[in-house]
Amino acid sequence: MKSKFMIPAAVAAAAAFGAPGAGSAAELVVGTFGGGFAENLKTCYAAPFTAATGAEVLLKPANSAQHAASLRASAGSPDVDVVFADDAFAVQLSNEGLLQPLDRSKLSNAPDILEAAWGAQDAYVAAMLGATAIVYNRETLSEPPTSWTDLFDPKYEGRVTIGDISGTTGWQFVAAVNAMEGGPLEDPKAALEKIRPLAKSAALLYTQADQVVSLFERGEIDMAVWYPDRAGVAIKSGLPLAVAYPEEGAVGIRPTISIPKGAENAELAEKFVDIVLSAEAQKCFSEAQVIGPVNTKVVVEGEYASILPTAEQAAKMLFLDPETMARLMPDWTRRWQREVLR
Amino acid sequence: MTPRRSAWLLVSPLLLVLTLAFFVPLLLLIPTSFREYLPGQGMVPGSFTLENYARILTDGYYLEVVLRTLVLGVAVTVICLLMGYPVAYLIVRGNPRWRLALTLLVIFPLMLNLVVRSFGWIVLLSNRGIVNNLLTDIGLIATPLKLMFNMTGLLIGLSHIYLPFMVLMLVAALQNMPRDVEAAASSLGSSRTHVFWSVTLPLTAPGIISGSILVFVLTISALVTPRMLGGPSYQVMATLIYDEYMQLLDWPSGSALSFALVSMTLLIIWGSSRLTRKWAGLA
Repeated sequence: MKSKFMIPAAVAAAAAFGAPGAGSAAELVVGTFGGGFAENLKTCYAAPFTAATGAEVLLKPANSAQHAASLRASAGSPDVDVVFADDAFAVQLSNEGLLQPLDRSKLSNAPDILEAAWGAQDAYVAAMLGATAIVYNRETLSEPPTSWTDLFDPKYEGRVTIGDISGTTGWQFVAAVNAMEGGPLEDPKAALEKIRPLAKSAALLYTQADQVVSLFERGEIDMAVWYPDRAGVAIKSGLPLAVAYPEEGAVGIRPTISIPKGAENAELAEKFVDIVLSAEAQKCFSEAQVIGPVNTKVVVEGEYASILPTAEQAAKMLFLDPETMARLMPDWTRRWQREVLR
Repeated sequence: MTPRRSAWLLVSPLLLVLTLAFFVPLLLLIPTSFREYLPGQGMVPGSFTLENYARILTDGYYLEVVLRTLVLGVAVTVICLLMGYPVAYLIVRGNPRWRLALTLLVIFPLMLNLVVRSFGWIVLLSNRGIVNNLLTDIGLIATPLKLMFNMTGLLIGLSHIYLPFMVLMLVAALQNMPRDVEAAASSLGSSRTHVFWSVTLPLTAPGIISGSILVFVLTISALVTPRMLGGPSYQVMATLIYDEYMQLLDWPSGSALSFALVSMTLLIIWGSSRLTRKWAGLA
């Protein structure tokens, strides 16, 4: 509410004082993940968008849950025009009627996008394909891990980090172990029992992906349940890391992009989504972030292509239905607090 | 204008802000706390359930967190009182030349952002932190002490952060106390310790009460420091409420927990101030 009153006032003030650059510059506010993700977003998505439209891009970094909470709190008058969120949260937002469905006819790049990337009623679209896998230090580990069970090897006790359930890797690791142990999604008991000792002895239960970087830097850990894309960025900065896709299958991640209902700059937002989906931007972001593209015309090249899953590894990936997960998450989280952390 | 009316006028700006920014949002949460929440779909409109409250009393995990929060609040208050009283006494009764330096020393931490101060403690207390590295280097310990993600970390961090509030309250109380009464007690043959226990301490009771209440309330509602020093695993009520709202998106449950915290706080403030007033002979 407040910003609605403040923005015209600011524009009026800028006009009155003839502030340079205040001419027609519109601003698009993008809710994004933080860290390296936001940096690559600026280069690959925001720069071409500004070149094409003249509009500036403002970033509001937070995790999926925080974006979802703030969109619900500001229902109908969101403070962002475009938002990145994991698919489980995108589904939740869509079910609560907080998203403006995408109009494929207005997105010139829509025909090139994987069909599996679109959400129900086109409420959102996956902007990239990531994974939860094992990242390890290739200098301290004599042989690369091949299975989720390697994390539980007593050799590495206290030298492993896993994510808290509030992060994507946290619940996806529970899902992966649960599938490995043959438990049903509705009851992750088997996984929670198996993970409990690991969580207790873990160097840290991380809540922000970037915490893992400093653990690897300080040599506190040998292995982490982490994102290959984050590992790719860390490798670029000189860390001796490598990615292992467990033989049981890594867990697929579909970070989505969507437009909240009532976005102030809905038309610009649509244009931004279109640019995000374009082959050039997809290739740029895939190579910078080391994450899989959703545009079928993109061929990822470069030395970091090896961090991305092979076709075989991608085929083995576990994709969890976001609708089911959104329904199960509160229960999983409460049980995690009680059966793992306590 | 009558004195009463001008008094109302004087408090009205604050009253207005409190009403708009505190009471109204709080009242709006009451219906929310009785709603049913369906994960993945949101709040069920028009539903009514007592389950959000019942769960706080029946779920062992919630009870454990509530109890932990109370223990933390009491412990931090006691630590601040024990550490703060001598400092306040020294500021008021000590060498006047030291007064300014001591007062600045107490106030200085307040000039730093809470996140910075909490982060400072992380640097000191983490597994590879300064304290553990030092103890390992001089050979006192082999494996790092667990100073974070448990009660120890929270006690250290919160006591440090809320100590200034206690000291400032006690300084005011000590300054307001007429010194003649102590002189009177001494001239009637009381020993110095006796004067302190039966005159000074009871007469500074109002400061002790307000300082303790302030520190207690700040401690049990603290969010940033417990989250930073307790991590995701060591929860207190404030972090639990935050998670229910922001992570589980279960606003009804979060609202119910908030009301539980508020009522607990009011009850404890009411009870403890009554007890202390009796002790100080003020009732």
